[in-house]
Amino acid sequence: MSIISTKDLCKVYEEGAVPVTAVDHVDLVIDKGEFTAIVGPSGSGKTTLLNIIGGLDRPTSGSIRVGDTELGQMSDGELIDFRLHNIGFVFQSYNLIPVLTAEENTEFIMLLQKKSKVERNERVHALLEEVGLKDKMKNRPMELSGGQQQRVAVARALASKPQFVLADEPTANLDSKSTNNLLDMMLLLNKEEDVTFVFSTHDQRVIDKARRVITLEDGKIISDEKRD
Amino acid sequence: MMLIKIAWRNIWRAKVRSFVVITAIALGLWAGVFASAFVEGMFKSKVDSVVEKEISHFQFHRQGFRDEPTASSYMAQGDEILAELSTDDSVEAYSGRLISMGMLGSANQNGSIKINGIDPEKEAQTTKLNERLVEGAFFEGIKRNPVLISKEIAEKFKVKLRSKVVLTLQDINGEITAGAFRVVGYYDTDNNMFDKMNVYVRDSDLRPLMKIPQGYHEIAVYLNSYDLAEQKAAEYQERYTDLEVLSWLDISLGMRLMISMIDTYLYIIVGIILLALLFGIVNTMLMAVLERVREIGMLMAIGMTKMRVFGMIMLETIFLSMIGGPLGLLFSYIFVEYFGEHGINLAGAAYEDMGFSSTIFPFLEPSRYLEVSIMVLGMAILAAIYPARKALKLKPVNAIRKI
Repeated sequence: MSIISTKDLCKVYEEGAVPVTAVDHVDLVIDKGEFTAIVGPSGSGKTTLLNIIGGLDRPTSGSIRVGDTELGQMSDGELIDFRLHNIGFVFQSYNLIPVLTAEENTEFIMLLQKKSKVERNERVHALLEEVGLKDKMKNRPMELSGGQQQRVAVARALASKPQFVLADEPTANLDSKSTNNLLDMMLLLNKEEDVTFVFSTHDQRVIDKARRVITLEDGKIISDEKRD
Repeated sequence: MMLIKIAWRNIWRAKVRSFVVITAIALGLWAGVFASAFVEGMFKSKVDSVVEKEISHFQFHRQGFRDEPTASSYMAQGDEILAELSTDDSVEAYSGRLISMGMLGSANQNGSIKINGIDPEKEAQTTKLNERLVEGAFFEGIKRNPVLISKEIAEKFKVKLRSKVVLTLQDINGEITAGAFRVVGYYDTDNNMFDKMNVYVRDSDLRPLMKIPQGYHEIAVYLNSYDLAEQKAAEYQERYTDLEVLSWLDISLGMRLMISMIDTYLYIIVGIILLALLFGIVNTMLMAVLERVREIGMLMAIGMTKMRVFGMIMLETIFLSMIGGPLGLLFSYIFVEYFGEHGINLAGAAYEDMGFSSTIFPFLEPSRYLEVSIMVLGMAILAAIYPARKALKLKPVNAIRKI
């Protein structure tokens, strides 16, 4: 079952003297449960593609659908609401709310969704246990290591029960041990809970563990490799 | 709730910066409120002093007397009015006066003065003139033609206690007449201008000189409540249509001006201070927003609505103001209460020459604290708008380098 599908997707930036085509007629389908890495050199368009898939940017032409919803036609307000309920984000530099504890950071998105306190407590505790941070629940981000912060970020991304999680170079700031721990945890979530992950990455360790690797160059998909 | 928690914790992220803003608000408000209380206290004591010691709550005159105080403009029915006042329950005291603009002559000097012919006992009840005696006696010890003068007049005319002075004035026929009086005592009020002009003699001594068989030029009435002044003046005016019965507010337009200044002074001073603080807060909050571009972008990316982002910045600004505001008001309250009790002595600062007491007792109506709090809240909301709008204009895709 496809979760993300793009058709003839283009994004052209016309801010400079010469228009720049960041995404060039991309057709892509990502199914539920995939563990996909989008790779490519700098300027290949992977960031722009992920921004459009995540509803943070709009395509110049073509269509982007998440489930049955066409994102290109939505207003800013509708997109915010859509992201809240359908997409989990993990950012390169963790981007947790520094004044909230790990528990509160994870709970925050569910508060925005207006979930009940009981439901919030249950899910937040289960997620933090799953990412191995139950004993760090009351710690604020600055009291956690980079790897631990990124795990909180994953827990936060999953708290809203999204259709898929978009992760922007999630291991870029992590050491090897933290990277392996994080990837193992995400793979486990992918396998056991059928969570769909889509990464943009340069990291060979991530690419090695991905089940599908899409390579972009000059905004075009030049290879799409599926692994068993 | 979470939004409140985040906003509250956010203001403590840059502790020094928040502390500086909170201190600025507290000190600014303290300065504004205390300055207002100082002026309000000064004006209030002036108003109280004028009402209690000079005008009383309302006065009777013959029509036109206040514009042209001639001897013949007396109220013949004066005794009838006094009799009526003596039966009025809301009247605490009253005093009938004969008044003449005249000259005081001593062995050294002559000068114009206002001669007040009074019944000492009634005047003491009405204006507490006896309490302002600083030397000599209050119409005692000199049987014939005693005159009570101020210390200023004594110094200016170089006269001593029991010295003889000559009062020259016009009688009701316009004839110049004079009488020899002896200084029985000195009085002193807080108002130098008043002191330099007024002397007091017994009405029974002045009456034959002015050839006024009965009645008075002025009847001053002191009520048992300030608030009744205008109502009572209107009531008596209805009864005595040929006279002019005016409350203290209508008699002294200067006092009316002061009352209206008391009402507006606080708003002007505090308003100016808040306006200055507003720019400081806008600057601080703008820094707070620009420092957190990435974080705000992330919040929008994960699904926080623009309204909530706006609300968060708004709350942070309001919190800053609502810590500084009450602190400033608390300092103000403590200072106003302390100095309201003990007074601020400014002797030598020429306040008395301007008719004000040299000891100022700052005063502020309790309701003013609430009004200032509302002004601070209004300022906080105003200060929050620009930084909050700035935050709203951020696009998550630009704010967080990439997703």
